[in-house]
Amino acid sequence: MAIFESSAKMKEIFGEIWTDMVNNTDFGKELKEAGITIGFVVTDPDVVMYVDEKGPIFDEEAEKKTPVVTMKMAGDTVHSFWLKKLNVPKALALRQIKAKGPVSKVLKILPLLKPGQEKYPSYCEKYNLPMD
Amino acid sequence: MDYFDVNLDLSDEDLALKEAAHKFAKEVMRPVAKELDQMTPEEAIAEKSPLWSFFRQGYELGYHKILLPDYVGGLALNPLQMNIVMEELGWGSFGLACQIAVVSFPALGAMYSNDEELIEKITIPFCECTDGSIRGCWGATEPDRGSDLLAMGEPIYHDPKVRCNCTAKREGDEWVINGQKSAWVSSGTISTHCMLHVQTDPSKGMAGFGACLVPMDLPGVSKGKPLDKMGQRDLNQGELFFDDVRIPANYMFVDPDFHEGIMEMLLTNANVWMASWATGLARAAFEEAFSYCKERVQGGRLLMEHYSIKQRIFSMFARVETSRAIARAAANLNFNISPGFPEYSMTAKITATENCLQNAHDAIQLLGGNGLTKEYLAEKLYRDARATLIEDGNNEILARHGGHTLLEYYPRNRDDI
Repeated sequence: MAIFESSAKMKEIFGEIWTDMVNNTDFGKELKEAGITIGFVVTDPDVVMYVDEKGPIFDEEAEKKTPVVTMKMAGDTVHSFWLKKLNVPKALALRQIKAKGPVSKVLKILPLLKPGQEKYPSYCEKYNLPMD
Repeated sequence: MDYFDVNLDLSDEDLALKEAAHKFAKEVMRPVAKELDQMTPEEAIAEKSPLWSFFRQGYELGYHKILLPDYVGGLALNPLQMNIVMEELGWGSFGLACQIAVVSFPALGAMYSNDEELIEKITIPFCECTDGSIRGCWGATEPDRGSDLLAMGEPIYHDPKVRCNCTAKREGDEWVINGQKSAWVSSGTISTHCMLHVQTDPSKGMAGFGACLVPMDLPGVSKGKPLDKMGQRDLNQGELFFDDVRIPANYMFVDPDFHEGIMEMLLTNANVWMASWATGLARAAFEEAFSYCKERVQGGRLLMEHYSIKQRIFSMFARVETSRAIARAAANLNFNISPGFPEYSMTAKITATENCLQNAHDAIQLLGGNGLTKEYLAEKLYRDARATLIEDGNNEILARHGGHTLLEYYPRNRDDI
């Protein structure tokens, strides 16, 4: 069974996380300085997210955007990443993540997401997501 | 000699990078490569060798970190810029271009490890180095396993009967490495660090490999003699030996589950670099021949005025343009998607290396007897070019692996990206 029970639940959780990161960390500023916008195409559940320095947008609105980097992965892979349990280069090599956009920018995203990874366990507790 | 770039959208930054790389290639690489070419392999790495001056100047300009992104201190070139700069370095000297790229492999590996300790200890200091004192090597090839190691996904790769020459066993919090790597390890005998591929699970054959980072000053590490070759004599290569060498557990950053994937990734990237350097070599050969044919008089007129020579020179020009186009196309694709599509990189490598050998051959033919002498660059280009059809995957084996890839994936679907 998928970690995220529905698209709506995933959007609720990540809407909160991205907004928190943009408002309360340097994430938005650093993303802008790096010239990066990110698209996430998630399966199981199906969610399309677009994130820039202003925060997240979802689904039809997100699909209209052209992000610098697009990453495709399953919802469970997203969860592992935010729990810092995923080796992203390995996941790319094994096709668990497929990325489109300059490889240097893909790799540059990883350190920018660290503040969110630090906060993620508290969201897991709040939304009752497993952390094993 | 400059060339007209058919890409009309080059930015000022692209053009500045090209100019700077050409200056380095012309003023530093060519003279150093010529000197090294005429030395013994031992002399080429001795204290007074011009190799060290090449490293110092190359590191000062940051060419040693051309493969690394800016968040770890790398040059962060985009795919087009990487192709432009690499072609210029290949024009300067294929061997030295390869040399200054391969030194970054342990730093690149540490970055792929996702391990902050390794990035801090290995990648960052390498990127900050400006005197050439931190130099890596890529320890993949073995006495009994050359291009075989590039048979990812093919039956032989998973054959448990295949025994490898370098193995590692886990003992507590350490890995213990024993065995040897072949004489073809680029930068092997002058390295301070190695990105080493070792068999950790013999029951899986070559699929039981891992990859680790080895500081080369650890007890039990020794190096062989530098290899004496017909071409690319400016690229140091040589054997490595490991006798109960102990590394911390986290230095084994690739396990067998990851290894096949990272080898495919390395092959996909390295073949694009090879294609770019080979374009530079093909261009160098074309320029040597073109300049000569515009000055040399035979049969009462310039060589260039002879009908057959016009045709031959044009074929050389066409090979350069073809190689550049295909190398750039592969770079643009495979440095913009992860994981990449290796069949396009292999196509670029095979085409560009065959083109550079043909151009070097034609240059000698057009220079006649002069082309055979060390007074002219053509003979060195020919010897250098010959090696390109074997290094980074023998072209026949790459073609076989390419065919296997087509069998598995052709035609690619846009949704695969």
